[in-house]
Amino acid sequence: MEQQVWTFSDYIMLVVSGVLVNNILLIRFLGNCPFLGVSKKMDTAVGMTFGVIFVLTCTGPITWFVEHYLLEKFDIVYLETLAFILTIAVFVQLVEMAIKKISPGLYRGLGIYLPLITTNCCILGTCFYNIRFKFGFIPTIVFSFASALGFGLALIIMAGIRERFHYARIPKCFQDTSIGLITAGLIGLSFFAFAGLAK
Amino acid sequence: MEVLKATIYPVLVMGGLAAIYALGLGIAARIFYVYVDPRIAEVEEFLGGANCGGCGYAGCSDCAAAIVEGKAPVNACVAVGPDKWEAVAKILGVSVEAGERQVAMIMCRGSKDKAKRKFQYMGIEDCRAAMLAGGGDKECQYGCLGLGTCVKNCPFGALSMGEDGLPKVDKDKCTGCGTCTRVCPRGIPKLVPVSLKIAVICSSHDTPPVVKKICEVGCQGCGLCKKACPEKAITIVDALSVVDPSKCTLCGKCFEKCPTGAIQQLLPA
Amino acid sequence: MEGSRVVKEFTKGLWKEIPPFRFVLGLCPALACSTAVRDGIGMGLCLTFVLVCSNVLISLLRKVIPSQVRIPCFIVVVATFVIIVELVTQAYFYPLYMALGIFIPLIVVNCIPLGRAEAFASKNTVIYSLADGLGMGLGYTCSLTVLAIFREIFGKGTFLYHHIMWSGFEPFAFLQKPPGAFVCLGLMLGIMNLIGSGEK
Repeated sequence: MEQQVWTFSDYIMLVVSGVLVNNILLIRFLGNCPFLGVSKKMDTAVGMTFGVIFVLTCTGPITWFVEHYLLEKFDIVYLETLAFILTIAVFVQLVEMAIKKISPGLYRGLGIYLPLITTNCCILGTCFYNIRFKFGFIPTIVFSFASALGFGLALIIMAGIRERFHYARIPKCFQDTSIGLITAGLIGLSFFAFAGLAK
Repeated sequence: MEVLKATIYPVLVMGGLAAIYALGLGIAARIFYVYVDPRIAEVEEFLGGANCGGCGYAGCSDCAAAIVEGKAPVNACVAVGPDKWEAVAKILGVSVEAGERQVAMIMCRGSKDKAKRKFQYMGIEDCRAAMLAGGGDKECQYGCLGLGTCVKNCPFGALSMGEDGLPKVDKDKCTGCGTCTRVCPRGIPKLVPVSLKIAVICSSHDTPPVVKKICEVGCQGCGLCKKACPEKAITIVDALSVVDPSKCTLCGKCFEKCPTGAIQQLLPA
Repeated sequence: MEGSRVVKEFTKGLWKEIPPFRFVLGLCPALACSTAVRDGIGMGLCLTFVLVCSNVLISLLRKVIPSQVRIPCFIVVVATFVIIVELVTQAYFYPLYMALGIFIPLIVVNCIPLGRAEAFASKNTVIYSLADGLGMGLGYTCSLTVLAIFREIFGKGTFLYHHIMWSGFEPFAFLQKPPGAFVCLGLMLGIMNLIGSGEK
């Protein structure tokens, strides 16, 4: 995915790839812990989705800056892990403070998930992928947004299905996480239909 | 020199980055400082903690905030008793009047063997879903469907499904939050004062010939209880008998006359 | 320091509270890194190293770290050891490094090191934290290995990258792909619950 000139259709393909073909959660395995915890009800799932979209779209470019203008300049790229996680944690803390002040209603609705997003693998993972795939600045923003959208899509589909589990007759040993994982696998299988649509 | 660079640079850069972040967060904490009334956390200690929604607010934190701001009365939390209301009142420096504790009661006695079914329902185990399938599988369109929506949604675990297909209320665990009354598609659970002594345990507004055919224990609306009551405490509203407990003396004449036993004494005399 | 308590803390991570089956944490690497037995054992051992070291260091520093900034401090400690592991595997175990890819640095946001730091290491002495870390890490390695054995033998027909199945064997490729990982882990979790409930 190393390109010098990006056309508009390249960006569209990037979004399709991030959301459908290589869904960050179902195909790339990132973000499973909150996935199984938050997908029990639709409103928590929607709250988490908005949180992840906002945080990831912002931290993707910020970490890109840190990598290219700080770590590379001083030749300490091996400290990438530490620098990125620090940046993400600080950003999430900042956003939590701001939301608490600006919109208490929004804070009560989804503020509880903001600290949880810090340890969400998909945030850090997407930041790493931005570097591994050698994206420029604009593709970084687009890819981060597309990954978050993919996470949200998988989460909302899962929440919709899991709300029905409340009324289904599931054997005791498979309840909760076990059936959740099996369902996630089946949803992932359906996403395989998109393979080959984009790189 | 290279070794010096390799050891000094990481320390300086990461240290510098951390210092900038720490400074940024410190400044942000000042800018975004929010004054949170400490009484809200104190009040929340005395609320139910189950986020049942019985108070009408989104959760216990919301209710606590509303109480402290004066938007909600001190006894807004229906899930706790008068002793907790006293404690909340003390925090805010006001007084509270105690009301009577309410519990849920299932206003139907149409168990699996006593009430007729139209068809065998094998769908999602939820009364609301069953209502979508031809109005439920019971002949009586007012009766309890017995699939346990109320049981599953009780935040305090006070309801359990009985062997006969009717939910049973544990009066000690029930807090009167009203969740069961809201989720039941037929409104069969009703909140009644815990000391209620007499009630008509049926929700059917069907006329006597209809009820006779479809349920052995339902209130037919025949009016025999009304005629028998010496205190005129009973009225028939829409073919369903209603007792006024304030007038009732528990003389027992209505129990004798009722052909199905729908009217029942709840507490010993 | 009681020897029996040390043993108890160590063994609980091996069965009663084994991640990721009983303690449902650390699912991302369990799914991604169990396509082959070598990768599964490798990831498990990396995590064990990080867990043990961070548990010990945090336990040593537990009286010094202020409560309000404890989470960022834990993260920094874990990140340091993760970078060490990353560099060591890149230098000495290159095929493993290429196979595990992005999941080695992602150990830093793995719920297990942070969870144990918060729940255990910050409240207990060094010896118990060491035992806890070692137990949980080895338990995780075992779980990953079992999952990987199943996925590799039936999904690829190999064991430790040597072909062991008969020549006409058609591998069940579904198990090697992401959906297969989810379904496999879900079924194993269900079976573990069944065994667990039978024990009670």
